[in-house]
Amino acid sequence: MSLKWNAVAQTVYQTCLRLDQEDFDGYLELFAPEFHYWITAYSPEIRKEMIWLSHDRDGLAALLENVPDHVRRLGSLHRHATVYTVEPGENGTVRVTSSIQVTHTDPDGSSRLFAVGHYHDVLVDTADGPRLTERNAKLETRELGIGSHLPI
Amino acid sequence: MTSRTAAAWEAGPNLPATHRVSGLVYSDQTIFEEEKQHLFGKTWQLACHESEIPEVFDFRTFEVAGQPLVVSRGANGTIRTFVNACSHRGAKIVNDPSGNAKRFTCFYHHWSYDTEGACIDIPREDGYAPTGLKKEDCGLREVRTESKLGLVFVNLDDDAESLESYFGDALKPFEPVMGTGELEVFHFNRSILESNWKSWIETNLDIYHEVMHVTLRKTQVSAGAMKDRNFDLHKNGHAGIGGVKAKYGGYKGWGERDVASTLPGLDPNDLRVFEIFPNSTIIARGTVIRIDTIMPISPGRAVLECRGLGLKGDSDADRMMRIEHHNAYWGPFGRNVPEDAFAAEMCGVSFRTGAAKHQNIARDEDGHGQDDGILRNFYEEWSRRMGRPASNPVNRSEAS
Ligand code: FES
Ligand SMILES: [Fe+2]
Repeated sequence: MSLKWNAVAQTVYQTCLRLDQEDFDGYLELFAPEFHYWITAYSPEIRKEMIWLSHDRDGLAALLENVPDHVRRLGSLHRHATVYTVEPGENGTVRVTSSIQVTHTDPDGSSRLFAVGHYHDVLVDTADGPRLTERNAKLETRELGIGSHLPI
Repeated sequence: MTSRTAAAWEAGPNLPATHRVSGLVYSDQTIFEEEKQHLFGKTWQLACHESEIPEVFDFRTFEVAGQPLVVSRGANGTIRTFVNACSHRGAKIVNDPSGNAKRFTCFYHHWSYDTEGACIDIPREDGYAPTGLKKEDCGLREVRTESKLGLVFVNLDDDAESLESYFGDALKPFEPVMGTGELEVFHFNRSILESNWKSWIETNLDIYHEVMHVTLRKTQVSAGAMKDRNFDLHKNGHAGIGGVKAKYGGYKGWGERDVASTLPGLDPNDLRVFEIFPNSTIIARGTVIRIDTIMPISPGRAVLECRGLGLKGDSDADRMMRIEHHNAYWGPFGRNVPEDAFAAEMCGVSFRTGAAKHQNIARDEDGHGQDDGILRNFYEEWSRRMGRPASNPVNRSEAS
């Protein structure tokens, strides 16, 4: 495995930081061109895996570009990730599992838990450092209040 | 001076009673309790879609206005619903959201019930011999259950009119869409909204709020002619919206939806809405259906249940297409649902605090465009069932 834990973790953490700051261009730089993004969850009510968001890199870029035109709850999301495992994948990639917690802070400064879950990522080594080719943000939390226009 | 004094704000707009709604219907505790009794306790309520309990002995638990219920498919396929409470000491019996069970055995003292609601086992039953209590007297409370177009409804009122008569022919426009091929639920989500349940319903009925959604400003408002939109108002408060079109390519990143695999009876660019009074809404967009149900928790709090439906037996590609079309607007990460939920919550703030005293439902476009007639139809039925006019639900001259 040519990708080192530290470099991989740094890329994962940068996705959180840049998305927290709504630095969408910086966020997209962390993805390889063939990137695919999902938000998924399991429903025990209908006993099915569900896909709540699915986009390739261009689709995600368009979604983010549109975000400022939407009516959104004020405040900010804060994504906390901890890399749990880094394992060799196919063709020199690594599979990375991180635990995540996302909190929402309103303009008055009160924070409450928005969601918990895991990132299931695949990263590839590039000249610019490790880049994601896949991210599945799999949520444990399904009750998300009014929801969000942003990825997790 | 164009702003208003406290007295003028309190008095509300100078409109006919049918065209305004008092803020008290969103905040008053007595009205809230009466809604549970007169609306949720007496109208047909959506339990689930038949595809959620496809096999014999499949069950789903759910709630109507906070009351736990369990719906299950019996040995011969008959769907029945019971209050999810044990005849013995009252414990909630079934705790899984779904599953498959030939009998429901209460975890507490192991009393068992079959899928017809009969109590079939009481451990050490002879202990009751001196008092004469028998299994036969300990069945579950059955709740009336009837289906239409694959939707399973329950009614807590044993004397309510049949489901067929409750709808009349109001659902006719949805018969080709929901009654041709078998549908299947692929999305289910519950979320809590800090608003009165009716503020959510209003986001479904008030088509004038297209202006809030950038998606609808770009894809819907000018996709068809306003005069071609039709509102069908029915008895019992039900209503349909038809004739609305969308050009999906208008929103950056979305393509047009000229796909072959539409739902039966729909053009890819059709939008149809049907309000099931009082608290469920069906929305069909060419390729995919959303059904949402809002349940009250308290005057200022409600739980929203959303389902997404495609066709049973969809190819993987068609299912993925429906999921993507669904998620474009709907689900917790859709472009529209978080906006509608935000709107409901912002109305929630105003009515909870008493900042707003009234709202008006006064748009009149002769049953087309962005008419409020569908909201007036809703509140007319609300007023009839509640025995209180929504415009002045607590007789103000009496209260003062
Ligand atoms: S409460 Fe259910 S068996 Fe006793
Ligand atoms: Fe809306």
